[in-house]
Amino acid sequence: MSVEIGGLKLKNPVMTASGTFGYGEEYADYVDLNQLGAIVVKGLSLKPRLGNPPPRIMETAGGMLNAVGLQNVGVDVFIKEKLPFLRQYDVAVIANIYGESTLEYSQVAKKLSQAEGVHALEVNVSCPNVKKGGLSFGSDPKAAAEVTRRVKAETHLPVIVKLTPNVTDIAAIAQSVEEAGADAVSLINTLTGMAIDLKTRTPHLKNITGGLSGPAIKPVALRMVWQVAQRVAIPVIGIGGIMTVEDALEFMIAGAKAVQIGTANFINPHATIEIIDGIRHYLQNNKIKNINDIVGTLRT
Amino acid sequence: MAKDIYIGEVAANEEIQIDYFLMKVTLPSDFTEPLPGQFVMIRIAGLHDPFLSRPISIYSYTRGKSNCAIELLYRVVGKGTQILAGLIKGSQVEISGPLGGSYSIDHQKKNIVFIAGGIGIAPLSLLAEALCRKASYSAAAMTFYLGAQTADAVVGLNRLRKLCYNLTVCTDDGSLGQKALVTKAFQKDIKKYSPSDTVIYACGPKAMVQSLSKILDGKYLCQVSLEERMACGVGACVGCVVAVKDGQGKPAYKRVCADGPVFDLQQIIWE
Ligand SMILES: Cc1cc2nc3c(=O)[nH]c(=O)nc-3n(C[C@H](O)[C@H](O)[C@H](O)COP(=O)(O)O)c2cc1C
Ligand code: FES
Repeated sequence: MSVEIGGLKLKNPVMTASGTFGYGEEYADYVDLNQLGAIVVKGLSLKPRLGNPPPRIMETAGGMLNAVGLQNVGVDVFIKEKLPFLRQYDVAVIANIYGESTLEYSQVAKKLSQAEGVHALEVNVSCPNVKKGGLSFGSDPKAAAEVTRRVKAETHLPVIVKLTPNVTDIAAIAQSVEEAGADAVSLINTLTGMAIDLKTRTPHLKNITGGLSGPAIKPVALRMVWQVAQRVAIPVIGIGGIMTVEDALEFMIAGAKAVQIGTANFINPHATIEIIDGIRHYLQNNKIKNINDIVGTLRT
Repeated sequence: MAKDIYIGEVAANEEIQIDYFLMKVTLPSDFTEPLPGQFVMIRIAGLHDPFLSRPISIYSYTRGKSNCAIELLYRVVGKGTQILAGLIKGSQVEISGPLGGSYSIDHQKKNIVFIAGGIGIAPLSLLAEALCRKASYSAAAMTFYLGAQTADAVVGLNRLRKLCYNLTVCTDDGSLGQKALVTKAFQKDIKKYSPSDTVIYACGPKAMVQSLSKILDGKYLCQVSLEERMACGVGACVGCVVAVKDGQGKPAYKRVCADGPVFDLQQIIWE
């Protein structure tokens, strides 16, 4: 069941997606955290961020919109108050980082690299919610590569670059960050969308637009994972609307070496564990010894 | 105080007034005894439309020999509650909880005042019960102000009468009790309650809570339970926030599900 992502060995290929599992402690009553492949924590910035005004979420057909605006405690408080909790567990911790400038990215990366108990960095170049930042880095191959280089220069940890689907050619961005030294790519982040309240003719979200997640985005995510996996040699982590073990296996067949479970946690807090058990059964039933043997085995 | 997801069985689901339902759900006995103000996230197992679970506050809790039961009082407002309303006895539901924090029952004040709007009565009923039972307040020490738009929207009155003798009912149209807003009815009596001897517990629509905030003007200890759209219900998504003043008086967004749903009224920042 174990997989390796840029030198980081994981017990199994199932991780939690950033922003959907808090800092781990929120779900500790529901999930034995030791069983997870990895926990990816909520996106961290240099300073605490207030986030967007409410309402921040809206249910949609087969999914939800969110405009949290990267509210987070900031990297220092994370290291001091949240990491000690996670260190009690035998689980890989991946810090998702966010910056409004390449400098901020590198500063956050540096602090986390010096902290005990962080095993990899996931660089969010893709969050669509904050006007000044994310989107521009993730939608421009040069800017995405620059952020990757700056983060790599500050850390010995594996660096995963998390890509935005809100671009015309996601594989080009993936290639560009691979050349810049990324150890892996993860995709997709949320798709920008909106919803309108007919009674008041106002947007359902205060931020007007938000990021769409959940099963509604799965076909798009799957297509993008498949496209990217064909163009890069580094591991690809599949994300987007995974609710069941079947969904997870589809992503792996399309080329993902590992997967992240996001919105499904809200609907079923046991989703990660059920998917891990499901993969184990699938391998047994099909007499597959090594999980890696199914990665990228799509027949076309 | 562990929480988890449980499969519950609908033991009853009755329309007690037009559009208002009382659902009783039987749960395994390891479901933690809820505190007043706590809520559950409820959904129908296997159904993905509506996509998100719905937060509903706990109205009552009873322990049986081999299981326990909770009651949920809800109003049909949208797709999610409509589907809940259609559940028949014996249906299965997924219940995650008990979630959130609770009203604090150890203020040791002489006067306890409850102010509820509509189904805001649900958590306050559970609270009144806990105060009688655990903090041994007599029914006479507690005063309840209950408001609703019309008589049709007044629910839970009979049960409340057993818990609280001093009960003022108001409706916007005068179809039951006084014709007044519940906050105005309370304001008429406010002189009876000195700020140092009184704790106020409130739950109701935003407009009611905001008007209460103006009337109390920061002079009273008042705990209020808030509602917000929720996705996770456990503090993980940071989607359900309300603006409050933090320890240093600076604005911050707190999660209604995990930092609340009960807040000190004084902390809340109104737009
Ligand atoms: C409420 C919420 C908050 C999120 N916050 C972050 C974040 O801080 N950083 C990040 O890289 N992605 C964030 N995401 C995106 C998810 O990690 C994931 O990429 C996306 O939701 C698609 O996966 P899903 O359909 O399984 O949820 C967030 C998603 C949601 C729903
Ligand atoms: S509903 Fe997710 S943090 Fe409150």
